Amino acid sequence: MLRLTNVSAGYGQIQVVRDVSLDVGEQEIVCLIGSNGAGKTTLLRAISGIAPFCVGTIEFNGEDLSDLPGHEIVTRGIAHVPEGRRLFRTMSIRDNLLMGAFRRRSASEIKHNLDRVYHLFPRLAERRDQAAGTLSGGEQQMCAIGRGLMSEPKLILIDELSLGLAPQVVDNLAKTLLHIRDLGISILLVEQDVEIAFELASRGFLLDSGQITVVGTTAELAENPQIKLAYIGA
Amino acid sequence: MAEPSDGLRPRFLLWLSVRFMTLLLQNLVNGLLLGGLYVCIAIGFSLIWGVLNIINLLHGSIIVLGSYIAYYAFTMFGISPFLAPLFVIPMMFAFGYGLQLAVLNRVVDKPVLITLTLTFGLDLILNNFMLAAFTANFRRVVFKDPFETLDLYGVIIPVDRVVAMALALVLTLAFYLLLNSSRIGRAIVAVRNDRDAAVLMGVNVKQIYAVTFGVGAAFAGAAGCLLSVVFPISPMSSGLYLGKAFVICVLGGLGSIGGALIGGLALGVIESMGVMLAGPEHSVLTGFLVLLAVLAIKPTGLAGKRGYE
Ligand SMILES: Nc1ncnc2c1ncn2[C@@H]1O[C@H](COP(=O)(O)OP(=O)(O)OP(=O)(O)O)[C@@H](O)[C@H]1O
Ligand SMILES: [Mg+2]
Repeated sequence: MLRLTNVSAGYGQIQVVRDVSLDVGEQEIVCLIGSNGAGKTTLLRAISGIAPFCVGTIEFNGEDLSDLPGHEIVTRGIAHVPEGRRLFRTMSIRDNLLMGAFRRRSASEIKHNLDRVYHLFPRLAERRDQAAGTLSGGEQQMCAIGRGLMSEPKLILIDELSLGLAPQVVDNLAKTLLHIRDLGISILLVEQDVEIAFELASRGFLLDSGQITVVGTTAELAENPQIKLAYIGA
Repeated sequence: MAEPSDGLRPRFLLWLSVRFMTLLLQNLVNGLLLGGLYVCIAIGFSLIWGVLNIINLLHGSIIVLGSYIAYYAFTMFGISPFLAPLFVIPMMFAFGYGLQLAVLNRVVDKPVLITLTLTFGLDLILNNFMLAAFTANFRRVVFKDPFETLDLYGVIIPVDRVVAMALALVLTLAFYLLLNSSRIGRAIVAVRNDRDAAVLMGVNVKQIYAVTFGVGAAFAGAAGCLLSVVFPISPMSSGLYLGKAFVICVLGGLGSIGGALIGGLALGVIESMGVMLAGPEHSVLTGFLVLLAVLAIKPTGLAGKRGYE
């Protein structure tokens, strides 16, 4: 459903990602791994149309997204849970979630999606009037994922699910991601914690200094000597 | 023995303290009535500063333009200036929206000095246009049937000012509701919080900037309508209004409606007390002195919050 062909992206003169080709299928979790500064965040920003420059083709359900402005991407069915959550800190959980549905016009649909998010994350429902800036890290990540779901996406890009979170919280979030996939939503997951990534995803890509160097099912990746050496420490 | 006769001195002291209390109360009332209008002057300025990071030097002239529209609607068509916000708000919104889209959006990401210079130039244009069109003569809204004044135990309350203040507070409330409980207001606050994240939500930032400037201009124009009832109207007043907006925002704390509310009411009362203690010629000076004192003690302003809430 998502297909990148020879995508290069970066900032001003600096090219960070080079000739990346990658695809995500229906109802599939795909992980993108790579060391710090490899360009994972930049690649997700390119897909969402907010990288300062981006060439190559980004196709989503048959439509070419490359020339769309960033604020139109979400209307095509791609939500982005950015690195560091990037919640609207002074706004309540509820208002953050409603911002996720900014481009949805039907009040009943919005209500339905809001209920769906509160059902997935009962904690958000309890704290719906609390300012997002005062939430714990785990709650913030729930809110960020919930905000992404509010646009009723077909694909969610998640950047650093586990960043700064306790293992138990990550486990819970991971379970929720599987549940979200079962709702028919694909996920492109950027994750530092390779074990979690491989547990969730069916396929994976390794991004090394801006280029994809290894591609395969997660079972294959787990056996790959390069990955074993650099990321699993075995 | 030249003692004053028994009872005279206590009665004199009582009379004096009652007089003093009445005077104090009168100035407090004057200050609050003025302060309500000041709140309305400041909210739009504070919004544009907070969200766009533009110090809008056009603000005073937009207020004056609102006053003129209200004035001419009154003298030509007999429409009360209190009703003028109904049409001045959409007019000024369109003006601000267009200006941001066509001109200011080109430099909105540039350092503050650039936007400051640009709004300074735009202000010169608008102000001189008003001088040419309306002349520098002071104009006044004079009602055929003047509003009454109430006398509450010696405290004089002019009804027109009460109406003006009440409307100013209604406008402030509307402004609050717009920002806090409407879809577009949420988007404005979201853009202020995190621009990139707002784009990911599908917000067209340039358009929200234009809406924000439009809303700021609309409330400036509405404030102008209310001010036309209280103060003489002239293009020369624009600098005074701009200065007040500036002082109020810094006094109350930048970037929140609460800050503008506290700052506006405080400035009104401070100026009015300044009039009582030091004479009318020192009212503006008192405002600035208190501002300096507040900045020295609490640099974030009285309300001292960041972010638009
Ligand atoms: N706004 C920017 N301007 C210029 N260069 C940038 C900018 N943001 C990131 N970079 C550079 O792009 C490169 C890739 O950064 P990116 O954030 O995409 O890496 P990442 O794989 O997400 O890393 P991490 O795992 O640490 O999040 C880095 O060298 C970084 O310095
Ligand atoms: Mg990153």
